[in-house]
Amino acid sequence: MTPALSVSHLRKVYRRGTVAVDDLSMTIAPGDFFGFLGPNGAGKSTTIHCVTGIATPTSGTIEVFGVDAVKDYREARRLIGLSPQEFNVDPFATARQIVDWMGGYFGLRAAQRKRRTDELMERFDLAEHQKKTFRELSGGLKRRVILARALVHDPRLLILDEPTAGVDVELRRDLWRYLQELNRDGTTILLTSHYLEEVERLCRTIAIVNNGKIVRNGPKEEFLAGGLEASYLTATGAEPDHIAGAA
Amino acid sequence: MMTVNWIGLWSLIRRDTSRILRVPIQVFVAPWISALLFIFIFGYVVGPRIATIGGHRYLEFVLPGILMMNVINAAFLQSSSQIYFQRFLRYIEETLVSPLSYVEMIVGSLAVVILRTVATALGILVIAAAFGVTSIHDVWEFLFWVVAVSAIFGLLGIVVGLWSENFEQLTVLNVFFITPLSFVGGVFNTVKMLPEWLRWLAYGNPFFYFINGLRHAMIGFSEGSGAFGAAFTLALLAVLAVCVWRLFSIGYGLRE
Repeated sequence: MTPALSVSHLRKVYRRGTVAVDDLSMTIAPGDFFGFLGPNGAGKSTTIHCVTGIATPTSGTIEVFGVDAVKDYREARRLIGLSPQEFNVDPFATARQIVDWMGGYFGLRAAQRKRRTDELMERFDLAEHQKKTFRELSGGLKRRVILARALVHDPRLLILDEPTAGVDVELRRDLWRYLQELNRDGTTILLTSHYLEEVERLCRTIAIVNNGKIVRNGPKEEFLAGGLEASYLTATGAEPDHIAGAA
Repeated sequence: MMTVNWIGLWSLIRRDTSRILRVPIQVFVAPWISALLFIFIFGYVVGPRIATIGGHRYLEFVLPGILMMNVINAAFLQSSSQIYFQRFLRYIEETLVSPLSYVEMIVGSLAVVILRTVATALGILVIAAAFGVTSIHDVWEFLFWVVAVSAIFGLLGIVVGLWSENFEQLTVLNVFFITPLSFVGGVFNTVKMLPEWLRWLAYGNPFFYFINGLRHAMIGFSEGSGAFGAAFTLALLAVLAVCVWRLFSIGYGLRE
């Protein structure tokens, strides 16, 4: 079966020489809910940026449902929806415009865009805020707009880079339910998060990245034997300090 | 081979048009007031004291230059600030993750540049009409110069917008290149008015050919070869288009 995402020997070196990702390989099966964990600066966001076209890989290959994300970038990008960690929108555009324009970039016709934007505004409780500019919205509402934008074209692979950072408990739980529904309906999801509870609850497969390399990868159950947090700290090399701290 | 993403292209144009409509004073009213002042002072107050040039009143002579200066400024400011702010606020990433080709991104940007410059030019023509100057000798030639020069400075604006790392750098080309060269490119004077040893400043200046071309389109007066000017303009446009496409395809200033 063609993987939803196949990353092979990915390397990313930034202009100033920082090696952000070093020979990283991973595969995500179609329909999986994949947790991508690692400390800050480990290379999670850089990997996502390379997959989605925000960064150019230095070397290695990336395929999305078998489509080369560099050579056939337009076709590959049709398959992906991205909710980035940082807000990357025009702050003076309204919530509705942000979602509608993105639908347009993905080729949705006006009637389709209207229907889909209405649906998403309702789904994320944005209907009454849709005419407000992005800068007028609260942090939680901004996060909802970003999620709605990522979903407007019904992507087959949804990439969520810390989607619940800074949102309240209600939205977090509501989002979890929605993501589980989406995943049940066949959407493959790649999730990065620092909330291990979230990953444990949602994901079926987990990969841990540290210093630009995958240090552990496998089904969630393999990580749960001694607890996800302990597995995570061991994989990232933080265990000795952690244990010393606990003692 | 993928077809043109027309809906995506139209969405880019809608987005960038919406952005300029949010700041109408900055985008339209400012150049119109600036043109009005130029027309009033140089054409109406100073002009009557100057003899006719090639049988044309000084106001008629100076108007194409004023119009071209504003077209150039509007084109450059539109594309440079648009791409710079997209990078600065990171919403360039919206288009990078979408299935838009580099050509579509560039064409979308230039379409809005041309919309802005044509609106600016029409406004200046209306102001000029109020001062009794309405002449357009050849409409197609007029459109050629407005559109081609807009595209050139739109592309140059993209290059500067991609290169700039701060607001200071964004203004460098305008301050040191565009404004001085447009002033010495024959806006207010003929080449013959310059001392002979300084005439190279006009003939070696690309802005001279833009202004001269538009002046010919508007009042039929020309001091240089129109064919050379048009060929030079189209060649410059082609070179810049290839350069900008190349910058997009390697991700210069766009992708990390």
